[in-house]
Amino acid sequence: MEKQGQLVDSSKNKKIFKILEPIGRNLGLTLFAMFALFPLVWMVVCAFKSDAQMYNTVFIFHPTLENFRAVLVGTDYFRAFFQNLVVAGGAVIITVIAGVPCAYALARYNFKKKEDVAFQILSFKFAPEILVILPIFLIFQKIGLYDTYFGLIWVYQLITMPLLIWVVRGYFEDISIEVEQAAQLDGYTWYEVFFKTLVPLIKPGLVASALLAFIFAWNSFTFPLILSGFEIQTITITALRYIASDTVHYGQVAVASTIAVLPEVIVALFIQKHLVRGLSFGAVKG
Amino acid sequence: MAQIELENITKQFGDVKALDNVSLTVRDNEFFVLFGPAGAGKTTLLKTIAGAEFPEKGLVKIGGNIVNHVESKDRNVSMVFENYALYPNLSVYDNIASPMRSKLYKKDEDYIKTAVDKVTKMMKINHLLERKPSQLSNGQRQRVALGRCLVRTPNVFLMDEPLAHLDAKLRHFMRGELKEMQTSINSTTIYVTHDYMEAMSLADRIGVLNHGEIVQTGTAQEMYYTPCNEFVARLFGEPEINILEGKKYAREDSVYVKVLDQDVLLYPSEDTIQVLKETDTDDIHIGMRGNDIKFAFEKPGDEWLEGTIYANEPIGNKVIMTVLIGDTKLAVTCPNDTVAELDQKVYVKFNMMNAIYFNGETQKFIIRNNMSRYMAEKREG
Repeated sequence: MEKQGQLVDSSKNKKIFKILEPIGRNLGLTLFAMFALFPLVWMVVCAFKSDAQMYNTVFIFHPTLENFRAVLVGTDYFRAFFQNLVVAGGAVIITVIAGVPCAYALARYNFKKKEDVAFQILSFKFAPEILVILPIFLIFQKIGLYDTYFGLIWVYQLITMPLLIWVVRGYFEDISIEVEQAAQLDGYTWYEVFFKTLVPLIKPGLVASALLAFIFAWNSFTFPLILSGFEIQTITITALRYIASDTVHYGQVAVASTIAVLPEVIVALFIQKHLVRGLSFGAVKG
Repeated sequence: MAQIELENITKQFGDVKALDNVSLTVRDNEFFVLFGPAGAGKTTLLKTIAGAEFPEKGLVKIGGNIVNHVESKDRNVSMVFENYALYPNLSVYDNIASPMRSKLYKKDEDYIKTAVDKVTKMMKINHLLERKPSQLSNGQRQRVALGRCLVRTPNVFLMDEPLAHLDAKLRHFMRGELKEMQTSINSTTIYVTHDYMEAMSLADRIGVLNHGEIVQTGTAQEMYYTPCNEFVARLFGEPEINILEGKKYAREDSVYVKVLDQDVLLYPSEDTIQVLKETDTDDIHIGMRGNDIKFAFEKPGDEWLEGTIYANEPIGNKVIMTVLIGDTKLAVTCPNDTVAELDQKVYVKFNMMNAIYFNGETQKFIIRNNMSRYMAEKREG
């Protein structure tokens, strides 16, 4: 009888545990979500506050659209937004066009110093941007690339290319060479093999790393700060304008940032599925 | 269909010679089996013919034309890869249809449908057409790969262990199907395997490959009865052939051999004596298959060797008994009802009529009984 009692007891414990476990887990996740999202929430809240109320931490305030009006109406904010889109988008397109063949070569062909080349590409991400910015600034002024789309897109390759090459290379290495050989024996040319067989297989990694590259390029601050002037203004630099010499318009900075973040959030939500699977898969292998 | 010729093919991977001066002719409509241990260069040889690997030296000819510089898509060869090489993003149907959809070998969709239906029915995978390769078992994947190869009518079929991952029953069935197909559509086929039964049952001719070199080519009979050296002898037959190390003693009109440091004298059969006498070494190895060894548990006579039982494995239709004599182990094939205790005394006698003699120094074939019969067969082949 005693034994039976114990059995009932333990099964009861199990039942309680079964109920408690998801509650605890969700509680933990909620706490973490609050912790992670709080700065963003605070940014959005600030966007609706007037400068006078900016420094109190109470959540009750008179929401105002004054900041939005100051930032969006009659300013060149949308021009900067568009220019940022051109620079970041252009950088990603070039990265994909040049990076995918590069990744293929690093995965498939054997040439001297292959690993050194691969590491060199990765090492572009090691150096802080501020380290190389001065020489690039001087050179760009000499050769007329200062304050041009092309100049910025070119320099952005330092940020966008290494990640894409390493992730996509891992994907190419995962495809056995026999698949390519089989497709060629089936009568397909190399280009058909590449676009019909290989590209669908690397797509998750390509999409995920291209998105990350876009985010890096979109957020880039140091390069456009130094290398662009009046002609081209990215959105990160524009947000700086609201820090005036006498006062800082935090509300306006918040508006500028909130809108700047939108494209990233939207794209990330759309391809969330690819993002998680794509990066984890490539990373393990790469 | 076409004749395949390889002339002095050498292929190197870094410092490793994968193929070393290989010359080989596979005749039109022949079923040729490449046989050898792992790492012998069998797959590399197939890929050289397919055009997936390019040799450093030598010529590859398909149907009399040199194809060294012809891309693999234009060679019109069809290959089953050992690791299947299926397209992971396509369904089984699309995988098998793939060769018939390329510009080069274009067929209309109706033709494709009948062809795929036919081949998948034969492979018994016609219920899996909608699945992706990742949803299949290894045996099913292998059959898809085989199906993709067989839907075509190429110059030559190259098959790299196409049945290795099937279960025994299915493998047996597919072996029969392949044999049947070979005779009905008259195709040149080069088939790689490491299963000697598959090799012997399918092959018109077998080529044994080791360390990137062709060791011997010939029919299954030749491989089994007149192997060119001990390596080939060991490859064919289950249990593996017993190689007995012996000393030759030549007399005026006779020759006898002592093996395994035992006192029992073995007398080679009449027609081998002359050649054995002329062999310039006393170091003779005798190849003796497990079913040419008689055994008894009571000593029947002086010419029987004494040993102990080391292991006794029943494998269904026979029992393989391992007999320990000195420190040499002999595999003996016994009837199914043989029961024996481990370490029990056992007496064995060799059937010298089926002995194969090897030179103990070079391990090369010297002679066997009834040589003329096998040689005659060779000429016909």
